[in-house]
Amino acid sequence: MTNQVLLVQTMVELADSLVDDFDVDELLNLLAGRCVDILDVTAAGLMLASPGGELRVVASSTEAMRVLELFEIQSEEGPCMDCLRSGRAVVSTDLDVGDGRWPLFSVRALAAGFRSADAVPLRLRGTVIGALNLFRAEAGGLHANDVTSAQALADIATIAILQHRVAREAKLLNEQLDHALNSRILIEQAKGVLAERGRLDMTQAFSKLRSYARGHNLTLLGVAADVVSGTITDL
Amino acid sequence: MAEERLLEILTRLVELDPDGGSEHLCQLSAEVAGVSGAGIMLMSDDPFPQGALCSTDSVSALIEELQFTLGQGPCIDAFRDDQVVSEPDLASPASIRWPALCPPLLAVGARALFGFPLRVGGIRMGALNLYQDRAGDLSPDQHADALSLAYLSARVVLSQAGDLDAVGTGPGADFHLVVHQAAGMISVQLGVSLAEALVRLRARAFAEDKNVDEVADRVVDRRLRFT
Repeated sequence: MTNQVLLVQTMVELADSLVDDFDVDELLNLLAGRCVDILDVTAAGLMLASPGGELRVVASSTEAMRVLELFEIQSEEGPCMDCLRSGRAVVSTDLDVGDGRWPLFSVRALAAGFRSADAVPLRLRGTVIGALNLFRAEAGGLHANDVTSAQALADIATIAILQHRVAREAKLLNEQLDHALNSRILIEQAKGVLAERGRLDMTQAFSKLRSYARGHNLTLLGVAADVVSGTITDL
Repeated sequence: MAEERLLEILTRLVELDPDGGSEHLCQLSAEVAGVSGAGIMLMSDDPFPQGALCSTDSVSALIEELQFTLGQGPCIDAFRDDQVVSEPDLASPASIRWPALCPPLLAVGARALFGFPLRVGGIRMGALNLYQDRAGDLSPDQHADALSLAYLSARVVLSQAGDLDAVGTGPGADFHLVVHQAAGMISVQLGVSLAEALVRLRARAFAEDKNVDEVADRVVDRRLRFT
């Protein structure tokens, strides 16, 4: 059964971390560890899909768990893979019934000492960004209350991860805007240099800059920087 | 870049120093970005730093001094690569970039370091360095402010005399691109660097009590030549 006190405490801790700056990997490792304390499971791990669709193991409560999760990704079968594909929880699955659902994974998991496996999705509205995997040494899978608690923890983790991604994208965008503004200035400086050297107007100077870049298979910015620094003098 | 925020930062700078001098830039940066401390390292095109322009406290001073002595650090990387450099946790860095720098900085309580390049187009003059006494990345707002501070600092450092309006430091001033075209032309006319060309252009505007745009227009239209 779910350890209610620790569950609430962990929820508060996770929510707190969202207010301040936080390290995503650290947060997810904390979550994986707490799942073992709170829920009736032997090991817990988190798998994330990158925006490009690539899967990686981001946190595991034990090394055996990590190895098994890596194997799942590699063999493309197992409870987490099903959960990621369907976007729905995969619950109470005994591994030794031999129904052939995950022939490769079951053998490995049983050898590592696990008898049942559950997985809940990290999902926000339609998007599945990963899965929280919960493995048990006993058969029978998770109690229904534990599944609900696991999904609540997974939901908070999802918000944390997405918030982190949004913050990172905002910074990237700001840097790109800053860079674009500076690039524009650089090009104007280079135009000025070329205009004076060749007695050109600014439109002609720009054409010259551009055709040099094309002719030498260089970027416009690269050529502008070299003109300004005096590296290119035959222009 | 958010122009309103830039104007707020500029207003605060003028409060700190009505002459618009450069010695308060570090104090301004630490205060506005809400970080433990800030420093500015001046650099030229050879990779060796020229020295610190300012620093807010003894830790910042040490950060600048060590970068100067060791030739490694966020300012040097930001300047060399012309991009923002972040190390959110010096105690467990994602990659070992500054092996000699980390131990002494951790010893004095710096945990996170950030470097923002100072440049105006192709004129590159150094980097703004921010540090935090705790691990963690800058928030998106702090990061945006740091970019604005680097933008402003670059223009203040270049202005030297402190005539902020004349450099075209005001928001949107860099969209007056004619100033940069004129600077390019003047650099060829006088055989000087772009930085110096910009200073000469500004000095001329100041002497004639005109704004820089007007003088730049005359240069680009070839009604004025610097000799």
